[in-house]
Amino acid sequence: MTETDHPPAVRLDGITLRFGGKTILHQFSLEVAPGQKITLTGRSGSGKTSILRCILGFTVPDEGAVFIDGERLTEASVWSLRAKLAYVAQEPDLGPGTVMEILERPFQYRANRALRKNLDWTPQLFERFMLTRDLINQPVTELSGGEKQRVALISSILLGRRIFLLDEVTSALDRAAKEAVLEYFRPRDDLTVISVSHDTQSFNDRVIDIDITAAGGSLG
Amino acid sequence: MSETIEIADLNLALAYGLLLFPLAIILWYRVPMLGAAAQSVVRMTVQLVFVGLYLQVVFRLDWWWLNVLWLLVMILVADVSVVRGAGLRMRRFAIPLFIALLVGSAVPLLFFVGVILRRPFLLEAQFAIPIGGMILGNCLRADIIVIRNFYEAIRESEKAFLHTLAQGARLAEATRPYMRNATHAALGPTVAMMATVGIVALPGMMTGVILAGADPLTAIKYQIAIMIAIFSGTTLTVALAIWLTMRQSFTAYGTLDTRIFRK
Repeated sequence: MTETDHPPAVRLDGITLRFGGKTILHQFSLEVAPGQKITLTGRSGSGKTSILRCILGFTVPDEGAVFIDGERLTEASVWSLRAKLAYVAQEPDLGPGTVMEILERPFQYRANRALRKNLDWTPQLFERFMLTRDLINQPVTELSGGEKQRVALISSILLGRRIFLLDEVTSALDRAAKEAVLEYFRPRDDLTVISVSHDTQSFNDRVIDIDITAAGGSLG
Repeated sequence: MSETIEIADLNLALAYGLLLFPLAIILWYRVPMLGAAAQSVVRMTVQLVFVGLYLQVVFRLDWWWLNVLWLLVMILVADVSVVRGAGLRMRRFAIPLFIALLVGSAVPLLFFVGVILRRPFLLEAQFAIPIGGMILGNCLRADIIVIRNFYEAIRESEKAFLHTLAQGARLAEATRPYMRNATHAALGPTVAMMATVGIVALPGMMTGVILAGADPLTAIKYQIAIMIAIFSGTTLTVALAIWLTMRQSFTAYGTLDTRIFRK
């Protein structure tokens, strides 16, 4: 296969990001191949979560460009490119409603309507991620942090995304639940994962220390 | 049918005697609002005297352009109140909210005067100014509630909002629940007022028509028409207020531009 056949799932090209006069990232570059699973690590405030926000178009870098599947993220393309991404926050706020309502809601959006049949996978995914079935009718506000993380993850999987941006997604999980999450992704060559974690054992295809690379690093 | 009974200036001065009760209670309980209450009474008096004198001239002249000008001044003052009341930046919100208030007030007003009252001249001062004022006052209150609720709710639940965008929602889809909640809050007082009108309180317009010497059945017809006009106007202005301000309040990437807030 040539490079043209398979562009990187995610490419950051010379990203510079400043907040309030402080440079968070300087000329930061990164390429993540399709199916690759990487972990971004580094001290708090080093810009790990900002990288995920740039990929999602939630933060617009001062310099540089973001490419998803070879297409540049712009004001016009962001809406279609987001439909390729799954984002699970460290402390996800899933909005109001029961777990079932949370899982069904995104299928009301035009971008996801054709995927509604994926909801049939819900029972298997609950079992796989060690969640009890009776949780499905509970208000999401009654869930623990770890349960919310797994519900957010299941929601992303149901949407059939291929590129996962996971921000400390196993931080509130016990050992067994964490293993269940990691074991779901590890053998899947079709899923790309960019994980932010203090735990370098999460996804170990590649571990990138932002503290070292943020000041002009280039990682391909 | 009786005539309108004039209030002599001396008798009006006696009305201020009723202020003894609030004054006594404020002083007795040491409620910290003596200065604010006194200032409000003075402002109310000065503003109404000024408006009364001005409207007397406006009514006597009854020039359509002067009536329009007066209505536009009222809308402009309301516009500034909404932007300030919602804690937002004047530069970004003044024009779209002016349009929202103008349409929300003008459409039901022109319908009321032209279709319901069947007046040949739509901008007749005697009808356009008081009815326009009543509709505008309600539009102002509703716009403050809807704008503040809508943008504050998105700011406060930023994580949930971004989660929705990340799941593939377009901006219109992501903002819809916030729009629904803000509209519900803004229209709530009008809906509640319609449900209790006549039982809990006799509303202003009906009272005014009765005091002017009309019989109660005529008064309720005016009241029913004005309530519907207010409900229609507030709904229109609330929808426009969100729709017209959204363009300058979100980035092209769908995130809320927090520079819209004054603090």
